[in-house]
Formats: sequence, structure tokens, C-alpha cells
Amino acid sequence: MIYLDHGATSFPKPLSVRRQVQDAMARCGNSGRGGHGPAMEAARTIYLCRTAAADFFDCVPEQVVFTSGCTHSLNIALRSLFKKGERVAISGFEHNAVTRPLYAMGVETVVAGRKLFDWADTLEQFENVLKKGVSGAVFTHCSNVFGYILPVEEMAFLCRKYRVPFVVDGAQSAGCLPISLRNWGASFVAMSGHKGLLGPMGTGLLLCGDTPVPLMQGGTGSRSESVEMPSFLPDLAEVGTMNVGGIAGVHAGLSLVKRMGLSKILHREQQAAERCVKGLKQLGYQVFSGAHQNGTVSFVPRMDCEELAEKLGSKGIAVRGGLHCAPLAHESAGTLATGTVRLSFGHEATVEQAERFLSVLTRI
Amino acid sequence: MEKCMITFRSVTPAQRAEQLLRRAGVRCELHRTPRYLAQQGCGYSLRIQSHQLEQTISFLQEHQIPYQKVYCGESMEAFQ
Repeated sequence: MIYLDHGATSFPKPLSVRRQVQDAMARCGNSGRGGHGPAMEAARTIYLCRTAAADFFDCVPEQVVFTSGCTHSLNIALRSLFKKGERVAISGFEHNAVTRPLYAMGVETVVAGRKLFDWADTLEQFENVLKKGVSGAVFTHCSNVFGYILPVEEMAFLCRKYRVPFVVDGAQSAGCLPISLRNWGASFVAMSGHKGLLGPMGTGLLLCGDTPVPLMQGGTGSRSESVEMPSFLPDLAEVGTMNVGGIAGVHAGLSLVKRMGLSKILHREQQAAERCVKGLKQLGYQVFSGAHQNGTVSFVPRMDCEELAEKLGSKGIAVRGGLHCAPLAHESAGTLATGTVRLSFGHEATVEQAERFLSVLTRI
Repeated sequence: MEKCMITFRSVTPAQRAEQLLRRAGVRCELHRTPRYLAQQGCGYSLRIQSHQLEQTISFLQEHQIPYQKVYCGESMEAFQ
């Protein structure tokens, strides 16, 4: 099996991740809920991951909130910053994890920048919208469909310039591109724990530059006499029993990413993706590629995208067809009607994987 | 040697204090705060030697780690 669906989740999980999850389940009780060995071990396990993440994403440990995934993180962030009737700028490449909560909240979205791989256009359109006045901005660091790496540092600068609070969706960038909460000055940065960070599914992180509003209320292991939730991070946003095993796995994954280095991971993924782009173009497919692209490539097949994905799957190539939960991105690229087949490479990507994919594709 | 106890509102600041203090060479132990000392219920505290109290407090202030109270001696009287 050649797995080219790392945009959905990294697979298979590294051995160190699997071992840490298993080990945590054998060692850990419920963090923050007691002083006995297993409870303290759980607290220590979570804290080690929290400090490692804080170090990696340039913030303090209390600003790292563990969630069940990037969608959970985004929901906390969006519901903390915006309310019904407000106008919010979003990029033309947002996932439903951004657009659906905003829609459900009654927030009006203004799409800014729809041209793929064009930083000048993205920044010009984005600034035009900010100038007109918005309550905030939400943008992805990297498109989950097309691999377009948005100019987030410059977009963050513009948000600071126009005093607009903003949220960055780092679902596809955490683990292959640098993220700095401090330098960006973001209100929130949301990310998955199970994609580029290589942890188990059911894990996510929310980096908090601002104080979030909790989605749920309940036990936190602190201020127990009060009927109100604690007002401080991370307790404010971490309610109920935490996913200690999952967090231990995220820590192992993060450690692996640190050892490999972001630039090496990105380079490997890009090399494999570039080989696919070249081969697909030679085969006459419409492929979406350009500058500022990570290891994700989409192309429009000559048959239904789901059908091709299924055929590839039956021959040992795991890819994803369809709209990838991002109809807005497809609308921007003009592929809403057809969808695309997406190839997304992971930290162990090789050019040989790309060549194997191309070889199988030519025989379908 | 007399011991002092510094209480924290939750486990995370207590852990952060523990980690930084240990790196700075201050011996400390992380425990649950006794119920009769836990303000507003459930908390964690660090136990340190009393002769390192002054150093510890200035260290916590320097690193902006919020703590609640300091208790010292056999009777754990509120010190601060």
C-alpha cells in the first residue's frame, strides 16, 4: 500500500507514537484529579507534551490547549471571537471546519483571495477587505485540497496593521511549516495532532493568544468550589477527562518531527509532489501546481474522481477523491462540479512513491 | 529543616514552577494541596525547604507564574 492521504491523517503512525500511547495507557490515571502515582504520571505526561508544543510553536505552556482535533479547536476559536451579524474575512481556500461554524453562528463571511499560488493577489485582496472594515479574519496556513501555502506572516502583519483579530487554521501546516504564535500575534492558531504532528486521531491543539470562551462546562480539577469555570488557561478550555494516551502520542510525534526537522520534511514532501505534478502533466491531466505549495497536489481525472480514487485504492494506492470538505476551495479553483483527486504526502515521502503512483495510474 | 508550601490554582502552573525551579537548582516536590488549605477547592502545591523560600518567590515572580499562598512550619500557617 502506498498511502497518499496524509492530508486526512498520517498513516501508519510511527512506532514511537504507538508505543507512547500504549505506555501511557498502562501508566496513567486521570490528570489533575488526584495526587496518587497514576494521576501524577498523567499530569506529567500531559505537561511534557504541553511544554514541547509551547517550545515548538513559540508560546508559553499555558497557551497550549489540548482538544479532540482541529475542528474542535476552530470551533472554540471562532465562537470566542465572533458573534452573529459580524463580518469576517476568510481566504478562498477555507475548510468546512471554518465555514460551517461561522455560518451556524450567523457570521457574514467575505472571501478574500481566490487565486491559487499567487501571493500578490492573496495579499492585495485580503488587504482590500480589511480596509473596508471587518470584525476579524480567519485563514488557513495551507489549503487542504491544493497544498497552496498562504502568505500567513504577511496576512498576520496586515491584521495587526488594521487591528483585526485573527485565527489561523494550521491543520495542514503543523509539522511541515514553522508556526509562531508570538510572532504572528494571532488570537488563536488551531491544528490537528494527528496529521503532520503524527499523533493519534482524536487529538488537536489550540494555541491561545487571547482568552477563549469554553464550548463546554464541567470538571477541570481546579476551583472546584465554584460553579463557574476557571478564568485561566489552560483549564478554561480543557474540560472533563483528557485524552492522555492521545496526548502522549502527540508528544512522541512532535519529538519525531523535531528530530527530522521541518525543512527536511517539507523538502521530501515537495520533491515527491513535484514528481507527481510532472508525471500528471505528461499524461495530460489538469494539475494544480505552483510556487508556495507543500506536499499536496490535486488533479482533475478523466473519469469521476471518486471512481478513480476507488480504482487506485484497489491497486494499493490510497488517495482521496471528491471535495475534501472544502467546497469553497474548489469554487475558487473552478473544480466544484468535478471535484479532484488529491495526493498528499507525509514525512516519509519518497520520489519512488510518486513514480509508483504514476505507474499504476497509467494502467487504469 | 522546616518546609514551606506554595499553593497554585491548578496543576499546570504548579508543574511549570516545578520544572523551572528544578532547572534552577531548587529542590521541590509537587503534591495535591491539603483540602483545608485549598482555596476554592482542588489545587496543587510545591513543597520546598524554607531557606529557599525567598529565592523561590522571586523566581516565580520573575517568570510570572501565578501562585496563591505560601504556608510554612509545622502548623502550615499562612506566610504570605
